[in-house]
This record gives sequence, structure tokens and C-alpha cells, in this order.
Amino acid sequence: MFAVILLPNFRLQAALRFREEMHAQPVALMDEQTPKAGLLEISEAAALAGVMPGQTSPQALARCATLTILPRSLTEEHNAQAALLEIARMLSPEIEATADGFCTVNLRGLRVNDWQALGAGVMAGLASLRLRAQMGIGPNPDLAFLAARHARPVLVVQSPAAFLADLALHELDPAPELLAVLHDWGIHNLAQLTSLPRGDLMDRLGPEAGRLWERAAGQTERPLRIVRTAVEFCEAFDFEHEIGTAEPVLFLLRRFLDQLALRLGNAYRVAGQMTLTMPLANGSAYERTFTVPSPTADVDVLFRILHTHLDGLRLDHRATGLQLLITPTRAERQQFQLFETPLRDPNRFGETLGRLAALVGEENVGVVEMLDTHRPDSIRLRPPRFNELGNVAMPADDFAVALPLRRYRPPVAAQVRVVRHQPAQLESARVCGAIRAVLGPYRASGGWWDSDRWSTEEWDVEMEGGGLYRLARVGHEWRIEGSYDEPLPGNRRDAPPIVAMPSTGL
Amino acid sequence: MPFLENTRFLSAYLGDQAEKVAQLRCLLAEKFPAMQPKTGGIFHTGLADVDAAEGGLRRAALTELCAASGAGALFIHAMLRAVCQERCFAALVDAARSFEPDCPASLARLLVVFCADAMQAVKATDLLLRDGNLSLIMLDLQAVPPRQLQRIPANTWHRLQRFAEQTTAAVVVLTPQPIVEAAQVRITAGEGWTLAAQRRWQRDLIAMARWHVFARRCVGHHPPALENERECATA
Repeated sequence: MFAVILLPNFRLQAALRFREEMHAQPVALMDEQTPKAGLLEISEAAALAGVMPGQTSPQALARCATLTILPRSLTEEHNAQAALLEIARMLSPEIEATADGFCTVNLRGLRVNDWQALGAGVMAGLASLRLRAQMGIGPNPDLAFLAARHARPVLVVQSPAAFLADLALHELDPAPELLAVLHDWGIHNLAQLTSLPRGDLMDRLGPEAGRLWERAAGQTERPLRIVRTAVEFCEAFDFEHEIGTAEPVLFLLRRFLDQLALRLGNAYRVAGQMTLTMPLANGSAYERTFTVPSPTADVDVLFRILHTHLDGLRLDHRATGLQLLITPTRAERQQFQLFETPLRDPNRFGETLGRLAALVGEENVGVVEMLDTHRPDSIRLRPPRFNELGNVAMPADDFAVALPLRRYRPPVAAQVRVVRHQPAQLESARVCGAIRAVLGPYRASGGWWDSDRWSTEEWDVEMEGGGLYRLARVGHEWRIEGSYDEPLPGNRRDAPPIVAMPSTGL
Repeated sequence: MPFLENTRFLSAYLGDQAEKVAQLRCLLAEKFPAMQPKTGGIFHTGLADVDAAEGGLRRAALTELCAASGAGALFIHAMLRAVCQERCFAALVDAARSFEPDCPASLARLLVVFCADAMQAVKATDLLLRDGNLSLIMLDLQAVPPRQLQRIPANTWHRLQRFAEQTTAAVVVLTPQPIVEAAQVRITAGEGWTLAAQRRWQRDLIAMARWHVFARRCVGHHPPALENERECATA
């Protein structure tokens, strides 16, 4: 058996998918590329008001003053067609995108007792994606197509001869000349046509008449041109007016996500990445890709990611459209370790990272990565990937020496008096006084092979009044790079230290 | 014996009051279950003094480490070791951008947030507390100018304490002087490192440091050292 799923008024349906408020209103669709061609498709309310396809917009508005004329959107049609194919894919992997708003499915091998129930399920699936469809099921693709045309909303052809007998001849879309001849002969329906001998008909009217006879008898067979499912799920909308605030964008994004989550669910996939694109009034486009930390199809989680980003977004130009593209992936399965504490909610953590990035800047949040150089202060922050960390072994016993440094960023400029090649007195905006003891110098250099050459000489110094600092000499300039220990305000070295350690003088 | 009578009266009066307070707490717990403070247990630090006094850092509570900057930096590195040992995740909110890593292996589990000033750091800590994914959050205010610290409203710490109660994270605020009124535990450390420390292993320095723990009595939390005494009293 074959099934044909047909979306009547496909282009208008695609345009009205995210304009629910217009469903009951008189609406017509027009191609802005060819305005002289007239209206392409019209809604039922418009038809009741006397508007007809093919009329020019002034003619249509003369008939119905409240008529809304929408421009045709190829992107929205493409997305609606993708949604149709995804639903069809649930029935069988062998599907053909026969035309826009119309696909054929090979149901061979599918064991179904109740074809009507199957059709009703497909209709419900499409209705959840805001698409109204008709479905025909028959023994071959052409019969299924004819059934889909007459379905309200599902029609199963059990007996092809009985179904075809009452159909008018023009249902098969024959050539106008051929149709005129047959009408002249008094042949108006398919039963009358198939009562004629096929050979004699071909002798008189040619091979086209033979093919028409075969179709009328329900005997045509043709292979389907199988299409693959899209690897990305996309929804888009063109605004009628330029948008300057986030509310309409968020409203539409929520609707997009509702639809995309359903489509992902139908394909047994979850969202791994989202790409938000907003065409702007100046012709450019804003684009941003979000990686979902823990792939999911949960609308709330995905919406929060977008909402967090849009909260802090400022654009120089207004948006003229909106597109959300989801790259699907399989739902991840993770085996947690017995002694490991994983992130409870990776998506919430991702959202928090987004908020932190908005607060302090993206370059100031992350996991520290030490660069492959000996140059001082060569670190950068990269986005954390705690979920991918797995069961990283604990560093056995690290070989860090000395007190950790608290680095001054930027370093503090200083004036140092040198006695016998060692710092003896320090003057700076932060620390002043005599130096009691020093360790050093520790010299380092690099980048001598290219223009980014650097060289530094570091000293660890202990001040008379307490406090350990790192001094650095770069060229002829001294600076304080940081402190190892600073005395608390008001505490000087007069009192004996609680953790007493012998002082070392060089 | 008027003194004894007074004592009896006082204990009876206090008993009534305690019962009423207990009833009020039960009522509040029923009405607002989400606001019920969690006694989230203990985060083991690996610092002998802290672990001996409290078992570690209290989870779902604010701890203030009030010490010189050297002890604070040492504490942060000790916590990095503990995080790796516990295989959990931690965050360091650095208000003065002063964190200097020295052991790459232990950094993979630490989220670092460099902030421009103390207020921004408090906001970042607020966000991390609401997140609830991390086991340890350290807010480092030690290198911040005192003027900035004075500008932080006192109710900020109470708010953070309320948020902390809803999580199982141990929250440590590192300060140069006591400012966190709402802290459940205050840790102070000895100061006065000399240049000789620069020739020792860091693990030895961590072991040598002396930490003094001052815990505030709070509902539902009993330090492990007191458990036996409590059982005796109940018996």
C-alpha cells in the first residue's frame, strides 16, 4: 500500500503557521516577485467574501476591504515541507517529496489492521505542527493521490474499481485536447473510459490516451524517488514590521521551540546545538550558535538558554526576521562513577555561565588554561567542560613549591634601590620600605626567535615591616608582580609570627 | 530558697518558650517547605585543624576565612586539592583578579570568575549559589581595597546565607578582616610567613599553617565532636 499526505493550500498554510490570529480572517497570499500573477491562494474566509485566486490585489480588496495580503515566504514553505516529511518518515523510511505540500509514502511491509486509525494518527501529528492535511491510502501512488484529493481527512481505497468508477475524467488531469475529444464522445467519468478497449483507444488517440486508460484502471506502477531526512530542524519567520524589542522575538522563539521539540521528538532526537539568526534592517544578519551542555528536547531548558542571551543583547539595527535552526543529536547516556559528583543540571549550569558571562564578560569566566610558555601570567580562561571531564584522576602529589602568588593585574610600577646587585629599598604606590631579605634573581626569557621577544628577572623579597612580594625587572623598569603574603592592616612584624619560620638573608 | 525557685520558674518559662519556638518552626516548615534549611553535611578540606574542629567546611552555610592574603591563597590551593580528591566541582570568584595557578592538573574542576570589583563578585556568587551545581564556592575578597569592602551592604551576607541554606554547597568568603556577619563559621589563620617558606613544598606549608575555627551555634547542626556529649545528655 501507498499513502499520500497532501497539505491543501500549502503555501498559505506555511505562511499562517505562526500567525494563529489570522486563521479565521480573510487572508490571501501573493508572490512579491510576480505581483501581476495575482493572488496565489486564499483562506476560506476570503473565499466566502468573494475573493478568488488569480485576482489582483486591488480587485481582491474591492471585494473584501478587510482582506490581509501576505507575501509568500519560501523559507516558511521549506520548513513546513520539512515538517511534513518528518511526519511521513514516522510511517516508513521510503518517502518521496513528490511536490510542495505533498509526499508519497511506501507502506509495504507495514502490518496495519486499521488504516483509518493510522491516518488519524498522522493527521494528529501534523495538527500539532499547525498543519492541516488530507491523507489517501491506496494500492499504488496514483490511486493514493486521487484518494488524498477526496479524503476528509483520511480515505482508504480498498476497492480501486469502485473508487475510480465515479471519478470525473478531469481528476486525472489529461491534456485539454484529449479531454475535449473524450467529452465529445460522451465519456465523462473513469468507468466509461475503462469500458473502452485500451488498444483501440491508443490506435485512435495515441499513446497518451493509453497511459490515461491505465491510470483510470488503477494499473500504473512507478518507483518512488526516495528522499533523506533533513539533518537540521529549522523554523523561520519574516516580520511584517521591523522589531526593536525582545518581547516579540521571545514570543516567537517559544513557538518555534514548541514546534521544533515536537519535530525532534518525532525523529527520536534531541537538540545538540541551536543557531539563532536575525536578519537586520541594514541588510546584515546577527547570528549566534549555542551549544546545549546536556542535549535535550525540553522546551523550557532550550528557551532559557535563548532568553538568557537575549536579555543582555543590544543590536545596532532592528530585526526584520527570525530563524532558529537546531542541529539534532542522539540523547546522551552517561554512566556515573560511584565516587564522582557530577553536575546535577548541566543545562542550568550552562545558563548560569551565560549569566556570568553577561555580568563579567565572556573572557573572565571559565576554567584556567595555562599556555604553553614560560612567560609570566600566561593563562586564559576557556569554557568549562565539566561533563566531558569524566573520571579524571586526582593529581597524586603535586610538586608545587613555595607560597602561592597573588598576582597584581596589572603589575604595580616600583622604584628599587639596588645595593651590591640586590634590591635593598622598595618604593611604590602599594609597598614602601627597606627590604630585609631577597631570593633571586630568577631569570627567564623567550620568543627571541620572533618579534614577540620577552625577558624578565624576578626576585622574591621580604620587607622589613612584613610581607613577601615578587619583584620583576623588565629591561630597566622594576615592578611588583604580586604578593605571597601581605600583613593585615595594622599588623606589623613587631609581634612574633604565629607560624614562625626562620628568616633567610642572602 | 528563692534562688532555686527563680531558677525553676525560669527553666519552666524557657521550656515553654522553646516549645513554642519549636512549634513555630514546624509550622513554618509545613508552610514553606522550600525554605527549610538543609543541613547538607560536610565538605572535607584536608586541613587538619578545620577537619578536627568541624569535620570540614559546613555545607549549606557561609564560612568566613579571615586571614592575611598569604594564608588565603594557601587555603584556595588546599581547597583545589580537596576538590580533586572529592571529584566534585568548585568555583572561585576572584574580586581582584589575583588568582595565580600553579598546578595545571587541579584546575580542571575549578570554575574561575574574574570580577572588576567586590560588588560584581558578590553578584557572581549570588548567581553561582542559585545554580546549585557546585560543591564549593569561594568568594575571594582579600585583595580588594578596604573601601570596596565597606560598600557591601551587611544584608548581602544574610541574603547569601539564605541562598546557601537552599543548596548543598560550602560557601567560603575570604576576607582580610571580619565583615561577614551571617557567617556560620569563621576561620582565622596565623600570619607572618618569611622568605624561608619559598624553599618548602607547598603541601608542607599547608600542613604547617595553623587554622583557628570559631563556629556559631545554629539549628540542626552539631559538630561531630559534640555528638557524643549530646547522646550522653539525652540519655
